[in-house]
Amino acid sequence: MADVTARSQPKHSRPMLEVLVDRIWRFFCSVRAAIAEIAFLTLLVLIGTLRGSSVPRAIADLIPPLEGFVDRWYAWDVFRSSLFAGILTLLTVAIIVCTINRIPGIWATITHPKITTTPGFLAGAETSATFTSASSVDDLMATTSALLRTQRYRVLTEKVGDRTHFYADKNRLSKLGTFPFHLGLILLLVGGIVTSVYGFRETEFIIPEGSRRNVGHGTGLSVELNRFQDSWTEVGIPMEYRSEITVYEDGQAVKSGDVTVNHPMSYRNATFYQSSFGNAAQMTITDGDGNIVYRDAAELGIFTMRGNPDAPAGLIRLPSEGLQLTLVAPDSNPTNRPELDAMALESGQLWMGVQPIDGSATGNDIGQGGVVLTQGKPAKIGDLSVTFDRETRFTVLQVGYNPGIPIFIIASVALLSGLAFTFYFPHRRVRGIISPGVDGAVLTMAPLAKRDWSGKRDFFKFLEKADDVIGVKPDVKHPANAGDYEYLRRQNA
Amino acid sequence: MDSLVRLSFYCFAASSFSLIAAAVMYIVFAVGRVRVLKQTMATSTGHSVDSNSVHHEAGPIGFARWGTMLTVFGALFSTLAVVLRWGAAGHFPLTNMYEFSLVFVSFLSILHLVFERMYKVRQLGAITTSVAAAMTLYIWSLDPAMREVNPLIPALQSNLILTFHVGAAVLSYATFTVAFGAATLFLIATRWSTPWLPSPEMLDDIAFRAITIGFPLFTINLILGSVWAHEAWGVYWQWDPKETSALFTWLVYGVYLHTRSLRGWRGTRSAYVLLFGFAATIFTYYGNYFFGGLHAYGGV
Repeated sequence: MADVTARSQPKHSRPMLEVLVDRIWRFFCSVRAAIAEIAFLTLLVLIGTLRGSSVPRAIADLIPPLEGFVDRWYAWDVFRSSLFAGILTLLTVAIIVCTINRIPGIWATITHPKITTTPGFLAGAETSATFTSASSVDDLMATTSALLRTQRYRVLTEKVGDRTHFYADKNRLSKLGTFPFHLGLILLLVGGIVTSVYGFRETEFIIPEGSRRNVGHGTGLSVELNRFQDSWTEVGIPMEYRSEITVYEDGQAVKSGDVTVNHPMSYRNATFYQSSFGNAAQMTITDGDGNIVYRDAAELGIFTMRGNPDAPAGLIRLPSEGLQLTLVAPDSNPTNRPELDAMALESGQLWMGVQPIDGSATGNDIGQGGVVLTQGKPAKIGDLSVTFDRETRFTVLQVGYNPGIPIFIIASVALLSGLAFTFYFPHRRVRGIISPGVDGAVLTMAPLAKRDWSGKRDFFKFLEKADDVIGVKPDVKHPANAGDYEYLRRQNA
Repeated sequence: MDSLVRLSFYCFAASSFSLIAAAVMYIVFAVGRVRVLKQTMATSTGHSVDSNSVHHEAGPIGFARWGTMLTVFGALFSTLAVVLRWGAAGHFPLTNMYEFSLVFVSFLSILHLVFERMYKVRQLGAITTSVAAAMTLYIWSLDPAMREVNPLIPALQSNLILTFHVGAAVLSYATFTVAFGAATLFLIATRWSTPWLPSPEMLDDIAFRAITIGFPLFTINLILGSVWAHEAWGVYWQWDPKETSALFTWLVYGVYLHTRSLRGWRGTRSAYVLLFGFAATIFTYYGNYFFGGLHAYGGV
């Protein structure tokens, strides 16, 4: 009775958690699941791509009831959606799990492949060749090995009774190509994340000629504009803008060079692009004790005068004085609506107004009150002495700070080297057995090239050489597409 | 300079006529021919009975040879057209759809000849040279103003990176076309009894070999495009429609490469993925027609 009870109990029950983990692991290792994930990602990319085109609108025009659907399509930012991020995450996890899962198998194939095979395997192979030689088993093995080695094959042998089994392969390291490729894919994602988290983009980084400005964002970088040059065509079209800059890191000059359109300058992870330029006024301001409180260039044209859009304006902030100075330059296009040019400033003049730094305009609003500065002549405003030294210019750069650059470079190299290894050095394998024959030895060998045309072609190329070296014609088991192979066509002829 | 541009156009015209004729020759050869064999048999009653049997067989080899020769002419003339235009413009001609398509025709016809020689499969030309011939008809349909060489807009006045970026794209499109041709023949060969066509296994190999060239090239295209975008705009990737359509095409071929490793998928299903991949390639190729964004130049 006790015996019966014992038999009815389950033999072994795996913990639920183990079963769950095993299933999840197998899901991530499945090539079918990976294909489904890539296919879904592909579909999302297609939906997102079409969103940027006129195709959905054309669909709505063709089938009016789909109007609402198409509107939702245009409204959905696929590439910034959590679904897109989710499928990318899923694929990343799948790549990592699948890679970890494949390492032992691939490593075993490379380092410790199974050498022995069975006569049944060779008999059932789609393509095989049998040589009947007068040589002994050992001599035939030596000849075959030598020939395979001249073809860059590694040959491993194992004696089983009076038979010698062999396994030969070449380009075995190409099996590793999958790892750098998939690592490259993951690194691309990592690079993108690093850039979006730690990178920044400054679209209006303004530096007057002779001035230095901090890049900020904790980079420790600052940039000085040494000189700005521009050249124009006869009809007034700009040909080139060139900013000669020096980059400082923690106060030390680290790189100098020119920045032009399409030719940015990079230092470490920061890149400086030429964007635009404008005029500036070099100003010196001293307080009542003669101390210099400001000596720099002020950009003109970033703002324009209220009431006259053709009059470039600029600001100087003096936090120590609690003041903000407003500068207005002469009308840059006097023939356009001359009635707006109420100030009638001449070349070499600037209008200047003073406001509290909090920006609340009082009696000194632009155009009301203030003083007209003439180049080189100091003017008094309260305790301050202000001098318009000279006209100068400023450049507008864009600053891209991309800490993902090194990761991106490594990812690209990994991607391409992985593809090259996998595609251009295919793993070729041959198995065989040499048995004692009636008057010598019998060699039977077959390529591991099921439904692999190139693999079989390489095997036939080997047979062509083997014919001469072994000295006998083999009995070749033909594949169904025998006519594709030059070797078989010649043999049949 | 004008005479070089005109001479380049004449070379293109010659390549167009050559490739159209080549496509016809290859198609005749690939379709094969039907031969009706009439047999007369005497019966025991002293009568005779006529019987007709129908045999499908390969087309006359002469057509295939003409096809090859005309494709050689097409490749030579289209390449000469590209070289002359290069000389006239002072830069590799890849700045509008006329030039882009001209280079594509040149690359595709050369690539077809390489594959024909490697595999000794002339029937492939029925598809590949047909695509090349169709592309020349598309070039004819473009605005004649595109045939002129104009100064480059600043966005395209860049460097070797841009040339290699677009060049890699055109060459990969050409390899995808070869893969499409092999996949199409594969599906025909496996669906109908066509013993004169190459074996499906060889066609599968041709398609795979083409993808092993095209996929890395397309990857290079994406990488160099990102590098150039960083040089020009300060960002590697902006989710521009042309960028994402290229990513879409890349993913489709990624699916193909994975399906080949699955038992039961290598062959017919993989061939269908290649047809879809070619549709994606066309979508990306002509994307400028319906995409806005950063790639919306090129004269369309």
